Order: sequence, then structure tokens, then C-alpha cells
Amino acid sequence: MITYAPGDTPLHRLDPRTKLFVQAAVAVAAFAHTTPRGLLLLTAFVLCVCWLAATPVLASLRTYRAFLPFLVAAPAVEGATLGAPWFVPADAVTPALASYRVLLLLLVSTAYIRTTRVRESRAAIQWLLPGRAGVVLGAGVGFVLRFLPLLRDDLASIRSAMDARLGSARPLRERVRLIGLTGLRRVFARADRFALALQARCFAWNPTLPPLTATWRDAPATLVGVALVAWAVA
Amino acid sequence: MTITVDDYTYRYGEEPAVDRVSLTVADGEFLVLAGPNGSGKTTLVRGFNGLLTPDEGAVRVNGHPVADDPVAARAGVGMVFQDPRDGFVAATVGADVAFGPENLGLARDEIDRRVDDALDAVRMSDRGGERIDELSGGERERVAIAGALAMDPDHLVLDEPFTGLDLRARESVLDRLAALDADGVSVVVVTHDLRDLHPLADRTVVLSDGSVALDAADPSPAALRELGVRPP
Repeated sequence: MITYAPGDTPLHRLDPRTKLFVQAAVAVAAFAHTTPRGLLLLTAFVLCVCWLAATPVLASLRTYRAFLPFLVAAPAVEGATLGAPWFVPADAVTPALASYRVLLLLLVSTAYIRTTRVRESRAAIQWLLPGRAGVVLGAGVGFVLRFLPLLRDDLASIRSAMDARLGSARPLRERVRLIGLTGLRRVFARADRFALALQARCFAWNPTLPPLTATWRDAPATLVGVALVAWAVA
Repeated sequence: MTITVDDYTYRYGEEPAVDRVSLTVADGEFLVLAGPNGSGKTTLVRGFNGLLTPDEGAVRVNGHPVADDPVAARAGVGMVFQDPRDGFVAATVGADVAFGPENLGLARDEIDRRVDDALDAVRMSDRGGERIDELSGGERERVAIAGALAMDPDHLVLDEPFTGLDLRARESVLDRLAALDADGVSVVVVTHDLRDLHPLADRTVVLSDGSVALDAADPSPAALRELGVRPP
């Protein structure tokens, strides 16, 4: 889910710089408007973005399910008390809204990743941040976006292999330990193979990047980004 | 346009995986590098483009020592890994095939031309926008070959390219290899099964325990079988 999906949606056709700008504007707005009403408006916007990007919301959230316990834990811990009444709902509201805000940002990021080729992201980053810093950041983002899907596939294959031999019958702790240890070994092995592939194909810090050309389609998207920023600072 | 290997030795720990191997891959030659599992085939070919640095000996590509300029060696020797998925770095066919030429710093037009040519060579010219993880095993193998071809290499090395492929996919890959051979690209295929490759091979080198046990244009089936290689 968190990898580029070829397509011809309105978001696929946007310049990656515009998409990065709108993404940043959503983040700014989400941090500025932390009230339920503000987040409700942002939710509507984010759902609209996902729809335009043909990004399935539930499947995207399932992809992040490993992080969801942390998002739930924050308000739970904040609201908990050591004595009666044991839980104060009012204390949990602010962290719950913050956790919800994170979910919205994850969804916008997923829509970006699914509609933007890695090399386009790299070109946009290097355009935004010229010089060596941009090269390093662009290459770093490229590595992460290329490596993470491989890692997820590896973890999924470990889980499938366990299930195929009735590993799901084992206690939860045992399963977590097996997936954790095997996963860690696979991470290192996968990193080695990934590095080898990059070497074999002449990895360069300064490759030819795709040209970035903004079109008339970027104008409304840019206006939306500007509106979000204006809303945030108003 | 040759690959020259002189006294190549590579050790994993104390044990040599490849032990003082010398061989030359001539211009336009179709060489089959055979041997049973663990005989050192992959370790040897990974030295052809500097992915492994030999403990002793040297490799030269087109006359230039690989150790002096590994990037030039990698541009000259295209490599397809045993599991093609290990070589993919992008989500879609076109982006992955373009990865190598982009790293060479070529102009965008030239990159596009090379990607088109490479995909055309493996009969996937209209599939550049497809996701790699949705392709079949044979198609992935062809994409991996296209990725290597887009570097416009003088030599192409394929490590066990037929593993897990069905008959049609094998025939398709073989067709591509025959066409490349006809175009003058020297091809090295690592395998332990000579059945499909025999008609194409100019020469067969068999490794056993890290050393060259046989080097012949047309080895006898009995000799191959004795060395753990499935004869044609």
C-alpha cells in the first residue's frame, strides 16, 4: 500500500513539488487546528484527497496497524490515574485528537507516495533543497521509499510461512518473538541484497532526474495549499 | 571486449569458495558456467563487475582492472541476479529499467531510448507502467534482463536465470539470450542444468569445489554428470 501505484488520477498528474507543498500545508493546518471542528474539516479534505488519488482509506490504515496501538496508548495513558476514578476522559481528549491528527497525516502521505514515483520525489526534494544537503536528503528518501516495501513483503512472507505451518497456533508472545527475530535477520539480509543491487546498477549520488514541469493543473492545487496555510495562520 | 580473470581467489572465512580460477570470456562468446550448488559460480561472477573483491588475483573488463574503476566495470558487465527480485529497486517496470541509465548521468532522451529498446528486446515494450510485484516469474526475469540491457553492457551475466520458470518462460528467456548473442553481446549464464543452453553455448566451464574442473566447447554428458551437472 505504501508504494507507488501506477495510475492516471488527478494527483498522479500533479507536479511532485505541488503535492509536497499541499502535504506540508495539511500538516501546518493540522497542527494549528486541533479542535474537533478543525479536525473534522481536515478529515473531509483528507478523504477528498484519498478519493482523488484512488487511495483506499481502510486498506491504508490497515497498513499502519503496527503503529495504531501507540496512537491509542497515548490518550489511554494520559487519561489513566493511579487511583479512583482510574480514568479521566477529559484528560484523554487532547492526546486523542493529536493521535487522530497523526492518522490524517499518514493518509495524506500515503496518497502522496501512491501517486508519486520515487525519482520524482527525489527530483522535487533536490529542487527544494539545492546542493549537497538536497542530494543526500533526496537519496535518503529514495532509499526509504524503495526499501520499505521490500521489507514489508519480507515480513509478510515470514507471517505467511508461519501460518502455513500452523504457527498461528503458538502463543502470541512466541509469535512476536519469532517474527521479530526472523524479521531482524531478514532486514539485514535484505539490506545487503539491496546494497548489492544498487552497486550492480551503478548507484550514483547525482543521477539524471526526471524534469519537473508544473502545468495549469497545479494552479488549483497550489491555491488549495495556500488556503490551508492561510487557514492555519488566521 | 573481454572479461579476463587471473588467479581469482575468494574466501569465506578460511575456506576458499573460488580457488585460483583463471578464464577469459571472449568478445561475443556465449559461455556457460556450470557446477553443482556451492561450487563457487556466483562468487566468481560477482567478481566480474566488482561486487566482490577477490582476496587474490584480478579481473579485467575490456582490458581495464575492475579494482581501478568498478563503476566502469558495472556499466560494461550487466548482471541479473539469481532471484530477479533482489535486483529491483523501483516499483514499476519502466522506472526500474531506467534506474541504471539514470545513474550513468545520461540525457533524458537517451535514457528513454534505452528503456524503450531494452523493454522491446525482452518483448515488454508496452508494459513500462506496470507494477513489478504483479508480474509473473518469467516476466520478472525479463524485466531484470531489460534492466541490465539498458546499461548497454558489452557483457551480460545471468545467475541461474531459469530457476522457477515454466517451459514457456524459459523459452522466452532463451529466445532473448539467443538474440543478444546474435547481436554480439557476450553472455555468461550460470547454471547447473545444461539442457536448454547446450545449443547456444560456445563453451562450457564447470567449476567444482571452487576450481575449474572442465573447460570444453562440447563436453561429454558423462563428464558433466560426474561433476554434478545435468547434461543436455
